[in-house]
Amino acid sequence: MSDLVETTRVEQFEPRTGRSLWSDAFHRLLRDKIAIACFVIICIYAGIAIAAPMMFPDWANEVDYDNLNARPSWSEPLGTDGFGRSILQKTLLGANVSMTVGLTANIIAIPLGMVLGAIAGYYGGWIDDIIVWLYSTLASIPGLVKLLAIKFAFIDKVLWKGSWYELDLDGLPGICIALGVISWIGTCRLVRAETMKLREMDYVLAARASGRGGLSILFRHIIPNLLHIGIINFSLGFVGAISAEVFLSFLNLGVQDRPSWGRMISDAKMQLVAGQWWEIGAATVAIFLIVLAWNIFGDRLRDALDPKLRNV
Amino acid sequence: MGAYLLRRLILSVFTILGVMVLTFVLFNLIAGDVSSNYVNPKLGDQAKQDWLEKRGLNKDVIFNKTAGAKFWTGEFYDTQFWRHMIDCVTFQGHSYRYPDKTLMSIIAEKAKYSLALTVPMMAIGWFAGLAISAFVAYFRGTIIDRAGVFITVLGMCVPFLAYMILGQWAMFQISPQHAWGLASPVNIYVPVAIGVIAGLGGSVRFYRTVFLDEMNRDYVRTARAKGVPLPGILFRHVLRNCMLPILTSVVMSIPFLIMGSLLLEQFFGVNGLGDLFLSSINDRDVPIITGLTFLTTVIYVIGLVITDILYAVFDPRIRLR
Repeated sequence: MSDLVETTRVEQFEPRTGRSLWSDAFHRLLRDKIAIACFVIICIYAGIAIAAPMMFPDWANEVDYDNLNARPSWSEPLGTDGFGRSILQKTLLGANVSMTVGLTANIIAIPLGMVLGAIAGYYGGWIDDIIVWLYSTLASIPGLVKLLAIKFAFIDKVLWKGSWYELDLDGLPGICIALGVISWIGTCRLVRAETMKLREMDYVLAARASGRGGLSILFRHIIPNLLHIGIINFSLGFVGAISAEVFLSFLNLGVQDRPSWGRMISDAKMQLVAGQWWEIGAATVAIFLIVLAWNIFGDRLRDALDPKLRNV
Repeated sequence: MGAYLLRRLILSVFTILGVMVLTFVLFNLIAGDVSSNYVNPKLGDQAKQDWLEKRGLNKDVIFNKTAGAKFWTGEFYDTQFWRHMIDCVTFQGHSYRYPDKTLMSIIAEKAKYSLALTVPMMAIGWFAGLAISAFVAYFRGTIIDRAGVFITVLGMCVPFLAYMILGQWAMFQISPQHAWGLASPVNIYVPVAIGVIAGLGGSVRFYRTVFLDEMNRDYVRTARAKGVPLPGILFRHVLRNCMLPILTSVVMSIPFLIMGSLLLEQFFGVNGLGDLFLSSINDRDVPIITGLTFLTTVIYVIGLVITDILYAVFDPRIRLR
């Protein structure tokens, strides 16, 4: 009997140190070997995206008319394209466009969705009405049609031409902006619903009672508690952005001035009939691997960060 | 219910008005002047002005300066903005490429090709997706389930373009005359099959989650304990309770029923609305792009209202207030 009392007292005096949400999620992910493998793949892609343009700066001009559409060989591991340029280098360079689009589109979309969602959910009233109207209007145009419509409006548009902050809406910045502007809606909806719940919590009431202003409560107490939604949607949105870039580039509405996987598939779509599978194959495998890695990593991340969403 | 429906309809009207303004801003203000695609710039300024004049594109943008604030006169509405709003609702705008046809007649002519592609594609896709996911969900936790999930995840990650190009290539090997175009009506089944297979991964994964949420309920255990056969459990009890999320995903895809599959139509030479949309973008045919965007939006918004009503019909716990 006395033993029992002794042990409980020891446990009381040395409580297990509780983990924060972030450290708990981090430990979960560390234990998950598949998630780590996916994360490594993503890091490799990011590394390639940064390194490839430095390693092959002159790729576009390395035309070799003696080796058009050459088969994969020891000197050209993935063969050459219709201008005799290396497909391996083209594929590696394609990572740059893909990762840039994925990152930038989400950097635009996630903060936009979180801030608008939190403001709508916290203040309610006419502010809520306007934001809800805004996103339901945007959401009522079906996805691909909306993307194409925005890209259509951006054709041949260059903002602030000639200055150092020139923005070529027909090229890469245009894709990022178009994707960013349409993909904040999901985040906004979720954050708005969650904010409406958090608004009624005691700690928010306490903050309000102690005289904090609305914006200060939003940014100190509400948004930090919803950051995990932003991170989850960031990883899920990456896949959508990569696929959308491929779709646009395939339709010649994407980047024109540098290699991208969508353009590779578009260039190679007629070559397959002639038995030249290497260009389309390289682009497909490149897309497949990164989409797979983000899909699985996004799922694992969501399971780790949001126990409520953890499904069977 | 009546009050809810009324409020929902009013909100939908505001949404649709918002889309009308948005398309005007995108296509008329941001996209700007497209006349150089139709009138050779070498013909001089007069030819361009004539072209603009004929299509009402040289009117005032939003406010008619001569009419001022006299909104009760017809003159006030004689601007690009109001013309756009009216053309949106009536679908009587004229395409730049085919000046003698109205939008309505073009859509009516092409919609049947899109429907021939999308209706079988979605019907087979839903059925196959539901059947496979019910099967996989029933064997949850076993090797069948894990293999099923693994294959669907892999299938989801293959880019749609690869399915499309490989499918056409495979058909080209088997019988080249069926790989492109609609010379014989059976050709449509190639893109249909590709669309079904490409969409299967995502739908199986989605429906499996929906099914699993239901499968863990007590009533399923009771039914199994008293010996209801597998199809009875799956189709009579579980499917009926899973109706809501399934219904939502079905309604969400209705706009694409009309719009057709953008990529498949273009790639397989199906002369439908998706193909029309893409070729209009290439040719800067603004009225058609506006009309198709607006049409899909309206169908989508109507679909959302119908989903809300069906929710209340299928789930007695939901009361619309």
